[in-house]
Amino acid sequence: MENFYMYLTVMLYFLAIAFLGYLGYKKTHNSKDFLIGGGDMNPIVMALSYGATFISASAIVGFGGVAATFGMGIQWLMFLNMFVGVVIAYIVFGRPTRRIGAKLKVSSFAEFLGAYYDSPKIRIFVASIIFLCMPLYAAAVLRGGVFCMQEVFGISFDLSLLIFTIIVASYVMAGGMKGVMYTDALQAIIMFCCMGALVFGVYKSLGMGFSEANTALEAMSDKVPESLAAVGHQGWTAMPKWGSQQWYTLVTSLIMGVGIGCLAQPQLVVRFMTVNSTKKLNQGVAIGCVFLLITVGVIYHVGAISNLYFMVNDGKISIEMVNATDKIIPYFVGRVMPTWFVTVFMLCILSASMSTLSAQFHTMAAAAGSDIYGTCTKETPKKKDKMTTMIRLAVLISILISYLICYVLGESSDSPIIAISTSLFMGICASSFLPAYFCALYWKKATKEGAYASMWVGVIVTILLLLFVHAKEASALGICQALFGTDVLISNGMLKFVDPIVIAFPLSCITIVVVSLLTQKKKDAAA
Amino acid sequence: MFGISDPAIWLVYLLSILCTIGSIVFGIIYWNKEDENDNKEK
Repeated sequence: MENFYMYLTVMLYFLAIAFLGYLGYKKTHNSKDFLIGGGDMNPIVMALSYGATFISASAIVGFGGVAATFGMGIQWLMFLNMFVGVVIAYIVFGRPTRRIGAKLKVSSFAEFLGAYYDSPKIRIFVASIIFLCMPLYAAAVLRGGVFCMQEVFGISFDLSLLIFTIIVASYVMAGGMKGVMYTDALQAIIMFCCMGALVFGVYKSLGMGFSEANTALEAMSDKVPESLAAVGHQGWTAMPKWGSQQWYTLVTSLIMGVGIGCLAQPQLVVRFMTVNSTKKLNQGVAIGCVFLLITVGVIYHVGAISNLYFMVNDGKISIEMVNATDKIIPYFVGRVMPTWFVTVFMLCILSASMSTLSAQFHTMAAAAGSDIYGTCTKETPKKKDKMTTMIRLAVLISILISYLICYVLGESSDSPIIAISTSLFMGICASSFLPAYFCALYWKKATKEGAYASMWVGVIVTILLLLFVHAKEASALGICQALFGTDVLISNGMLKFVDPIVIAFPLSCITIVVVSLLTQKKKDAAA
Repeated sequence: MFGISDPAIWLVYLLSILCTIGSIVFGIIYWNKEDENDNKEK
């Protein structure tokens, strides 16, 4: 009987997704509808879509597991997601992006930069980076959703992958940005309600209040295993030791890398162009902050608190209960909440995957179909008419590439490609795109030469650091080992734990300023 | 504060709550306010 209700709930969910995808299809009449929802989307839908796109299954299960293992320090990521990813993003970046985007009549992030700097080269460069690097990131997110479907339906990885890909592909291809945003909004509501219920359930189970539980968790700091204490762990209610390996990983990769990297994510920036007034962006700020506080704030907090629950009930800390960071949150939810909630929680993780994935597929398609194809082929009336068809075809190609990457990698959890995919994409977006994007909004002296040079510097430095310096990716890929007989080029000191963004981003900023000033005369002469 | 002695941790909870309250206040004040630049573009 329980299985029947579980399958019924999941089927109703997929029916709702299908309906919203169909609604998007009926309201999509041209390429502007397909790419930016016609530019007149509802602000609540836009804000919920932004939040859902932002938060993938890795934020819930992956970073939730990091919170369970390493403690509440990860809440700085939640704060930066809110303050930088919503407040600064909407007010400082979003408002001028919407205004300039409407004036330039653009429909993608690559087109925005290309049109602002009057450089088709920049448009193609940005679109190429998106199309080359995003499939890996999408494959990592796809895997998260597939594992979830495997759990729910008890089917094989390959079958889950096929079904999951077909479902997401259908509503992205048919509904375009409207279909993507309507489904995102539903998925955001599911995530919000689920996390809201989870926090009540956890505290009811503990039988303690917020401060009382924190105090009890703090008293457990002597239970930190020696292996974790050796890398800087000082308890679940304390930051890691300053300057330790865990401190560098937490602050530079997780907090700075993701916290700053989110500002230049193409799939998030394009959402600012889906509304037709600044007022609608203002309306989105509160929705975005509340959404992040309840979704990621709750999951990181209960992740850390799970240690208290397991210590009281089983005499062990969380990582000792399941031995894998990614498995802690699902296991904890299964222990603390009623059975019916576990199904809802699975839907929550599925929603988080699907919302991020649909945005990725759509963004890759816009890059290939509208930006690369659109720029490299001649402008004809026939081409304009068939642009929507070309973008839909690009959706299919993008999805096939991500599907194939996932299929070839299979269920293996130690693939080096998956390990680097998220950091590669986030790092490149921050270091390559962010300086040129910021200058487009606020520094009139930026030239196309400066922007182009800074993008190249951002990409090259990020890739070199990932291949040869940053331990996590360099050791996983093995290229440094093959060439130089060592995992990383600089093994002494803490540099191997410092995220590439700390070096690549400032270099890219310096490049755009220096090159722009040097080419200023050329720009003035052209004007 | 909040039963946590490390200031780097209770500060993040405090900042997050203040940020959320601030964004709600911002939303209420600007909910129906049109932007001058939007009016110029029309």
